[in-house]
Amino acid sequence: MNRFFLGLSRLLAILGGIVLAVLIVIVVVSIVGRETGLGAITGDYELVEAGMAFCIFAFLPYAHMTGAHATVDIFTNALGERAHRWLLAVIDTVFAVVLIIIAVQLYGGLVSKMNSGQTTLLLQFPVWWGYLASFCAAVIGGVVGVWHALVRITEAVTGNSIAVEGGET
Amino acid sequence: MTNIEIGLWSFPALLLLIFLRVPIGLAMFLAGFLGLGIINDGFHIALARLKTETFTTFSSYSLSIVPMFLLMGHFATLGGMSQSLFKAAESWLGHRRGGVAMAAIGACAGFGAICGSSLATAATMGRVALPELKRYGYSGGFSTATLAAGGTLGILIPPSVVLVIYAILAEQNIAKLFAAAIIPGILAAIGYIIMISIYVRLNPKSAGVRPPVPMAQRFRAMFDVWPVLLVFGLVVGGIYGGLFTPTEGAAVGALGTGIIALFNGGLTWKTLMGSFTATARSTAMIFFIVLGAAFYNGFLAVSQVPQTAADWVSAQGYSPYMVLLIILVFYLLLGCFMDSLSMILLTIPIFFPIISVLDFGFVDFVTMQHDMIREAIANGAAQGVAQDVMDQINALMAAGEEVPRKLSAEVGVRLTELRANAIGLEYTAIWFGILVLIVVETGLITPPVGMILFIINAMDRQTPIVETYKAVLFFITSDLIRVALLVAFPMITLFLIT
Amino acid sequence: QEVTLKLHQFLPAQANVPKLVLDVWADNVEEDSEGRIKVDRYASMALGGTPPELMDQAIDGIADVVWTVVGYTPGRFPTTEVFELPFMVEDAREASCAYWQMFEEHMKDGEFSDVKIVGTWVHGPGMFHTNEPVRVPSDLEGMKIRGGSRLVNNLLTRVGAEPVGMPVPAVSEALSKGVIDGTTIPWEVTYALKVPELVTNHTEFEGAALYNLTFVLAMNKDVYEGLSDENKAVIDANSGLEFSVFAGGTQADADGPARQVAVDLGNNIITVSEEEAKEWDAIVNPIYEEWASGMENGDALIEEAKTRMEQCGENMADIDTYGDS
Ligand code: NA
Ligand code: NA
Repeated sequence: MNRFFLGLSRLLAILGGIVLAVLIVIVVVSIVGRETGLGAITGDYELVEAGMAFCIFAFLPYAHMTGAHATVDIFTNALGERAHRWLLAVIDTVFAVVLIIIAVQLYGGLVSKMNSGQTTLLLQFPVWWGYLASFCAAVIGGVVGVWHALVRITEAVTGNSIAVEGGET
Repeated sequence: MTNIEIGLWSFPALLLLIFLRVPIGLAMFLAGFLGLGIINDGFHIALARLKTETFTTFSSYSLSIVPMFLLMGHFATLGGMSQSLFKAAESWLGHRRGGVAMAAIGACAGFGAICGSSLATAATMGRVALPELKRYGYSGGFSTATLAAGGTLGILIPPSVVLVIYAILAEQNIAKLFAAAIIPGILAAIGYIIMISIYVRLNPKSAGVRPPVPMAQRFRAMFDVWPVLLVFGLVVGGIYGGLFTPTEGAAVGALGTGIIALFNGGLTWKTLMGSFTATARSTAMIFFIVLGAAFYNGFLAVSQVPQTAADWVSAQGYSPYMVLLIILVFYLLLGCFMDSLSMILLTIPIFFPIISVLDFGFVDFVTMQHDMIREAIANGAAQGVAQDVMDQINALMAAGEEVPRKLSAEVGVRLTELRANAIGLEYTAIWFGILVLIVVETGLITPPVGMILFIINAMDRQTPIVETYKAVLFFITSDLIRVALLVAFPMITLFLIT
Repeated sequence: QEVTLKLHQFLPAQANVPKLVLDVWADNVEEDSEGRIKVDRYASMALGGTPPELMDQAIDGIADVVWTVVGYTPGRFPTTEVFELPFMVEDAREASCAYWQMFEEHMKDGEFSDVKIVGTWVHGPGMFHTNEPVRVPSDLEGMKIRGGSRLVNNLLTRVGAEPVGMPVPAVSEALSKGVIDGTTIPWEVTYALKVPELVTNHTEFEGAALYNLTFVLAMNKDVYEGLSDENKAVIDANSGLEFSVFAGGTQADADGPARQVAVDLGNNIITVSEEEAKEWDAIVNPIYEEWASGMENGDALIEEAKTRMEQCGENMADIDTYGDS
């Protein structure tokens, strides 16, 4: 089961990577257009902004599942194995709650941007498109967060190691 | 409790969370969220802010430079640039005493010129250079410490992710900060090389020597680093020269290194996916801290702490250099426990307002105005201006007094005090940013917690971390000497932007 | 007191609109309510967020009352843009009067149904403040100019400038760092933003204004509905046509003293005559058609705005002066 969520978040991260690559190409094409006089891509700036929000939301679940977040563990290393597992269980439960709150509130933002009809300044595409893409990734983030918290709690109760630390290289 | 008290109490609370191993981004987020809840008597406002704040934080055009530079670093590795850099440096320096270690520093500096991250530079160069150092009989601790120090060059030499974050927080020009980092970055590499030669003199057994390489081979090795020069020239040169924005530069660099890696055969479907997931991990780590910091700093701003702190410090009339010294020492201490990015995101919103109200004497309005007027007159701006106006201007300048703008406008000089102060503040901000960058990077190699020390040490299982700790003190000494130099002579930093 | 309202806006407290319009409104509300309502004033985005988020802050209750530039949220309030069209507005009082009337007629229950609108107004004539002198459109070729709304950015694109969208508080810094070569704003706000100390050229237009921006003073709907009847009556008495005309007129009247500051500094002030403005008008006029085609009844709205501005001008003497009760 952990492999399923790991695979899911990895897939999402790769999708984010593909979007990142597309944005890079857009920016470069725009520079070339501008410098050769063929004309830059209008609103490349806005495309990068909307796309980047999706990328980050898409990257978060995989980073979460593989323990990429920066921590200071020098003081907690002194804790016993058991206490340490319980500490992680508590932290990742709180983290899951935060990820859910983020997704739920982002939904609120999405609905309000949808109803308001707000667009970007230059391309004038609806702002909610970007919100919708980000929201989909944020939902997976919330689900992955809950799963990871369950894993941590199971680890604390049983003493077994389940979670995967560190990503592939 | 007043808002300011709530803001002040949030510091110990936040540090407690961080030291309890709560991820730093999450800790800042929680502190900001709870703090807003206490200030507003309920969470409705904190929740309402979340509706748009995550999206707007993540959709920043200037921050999009971060994943682009990270991807560029991965592509550079795949393209074999780390190997060719090391080979080139090694062919020239390897036969000297300590030469392979010096070559490793040189290669780190070169890789730093195409990689925005210290950890990536350390990890990449460690993989390439560590086996070589071992092969030529370099002692374990000396080898790991050398590569750890070399890793910090990844951030000091532009492009640099931490510098981008600083630029955004302090609202400074990324291109100018990159330019200002070049000389201190080169000084860092030179300082490390000097330290290596001192170290091998004191510990002759710590390094072996190998025979020199024929000249033809050296030039061939040097020729192989052309992609690095091309990418660095295009990216940093293009940004510095105003050809494109920093984000555009990062996109050019990522695509360029990607294409080079493709032609070198390093970029396959599998390694591309690996680059994406590795970029995803570091990017998400950074942006979650950015989000937490944005939320926490939003709370701090409402609590008025940064403004009050800046007013208080400026009212005390402390010497600007004393304040600067205290801040730098604080970073060195905090750096024993925390990584550079978190420190910058956590502290710059508080320290920068303090630094920006201090006068380091970079710009004097009257002197600047007089210089500009003299230059204008030398360029013939006085022609056609009434003689009595010129007499007035000359009299004021001779007396060392400010020339009213209406008069100076006659010779085309419209400098105002505001503009002069803006220039002075910019110099202060850039100089301070480079100093902070160096001390937080030093934090990455100071014991007991140094992220880079850990990364490199993990690659060399035979070397106890204590050996690394001992040898790295040499490089830390070099860092401290460099900071002292840059504090004493701001022009070293500001030279390329004035 | 019974109620505290958080009034949030983007300019420093001592800028003209906060000092001459918003403080007057807030003081009147406090006084008329005999102290039952207190208005806490938060300047320069002190409650957090960026200026484009102000409207949502009022809707979501992060602030109770906000003053905001409608153009910061493109696409949400398209009808207001009729007053942003180039060479449309000649007088801020007339336009603010017509704007309120059309707000009540067309926007109150539509575009603005999520908030309680207290007042609607426009600023004095919009103009250029630049590093290099600008007299004809070709002078702007390649210059990076800041615009405050999508129609202004459209205008900038048409005259050959490179538009940069940013809220007005960011202008000083962008100018001092050379991020932009100039900005569009009316005279009035140049003083608070120290623009005459950052650029040396100002281009103003005789006759109709090159462009205008529209403002609203907006209140959270639930907060308004939750007021007691007598407190509601206080807000109502300080809302509407008279207040809108007062706000637009006061803001436009502040143009003169701000212009004098630039004159005193020895800056170069270029006045484009009505004759010279024709060259500008020819280039930017297609914006009318473009805008109208994007609206359901665009042409009718343009005509209505023109007619109402004219009528407002004729009847200006009959409109009560705000605050004189
Ligand atoms: Na670098
Ligand atoms: Na450290």
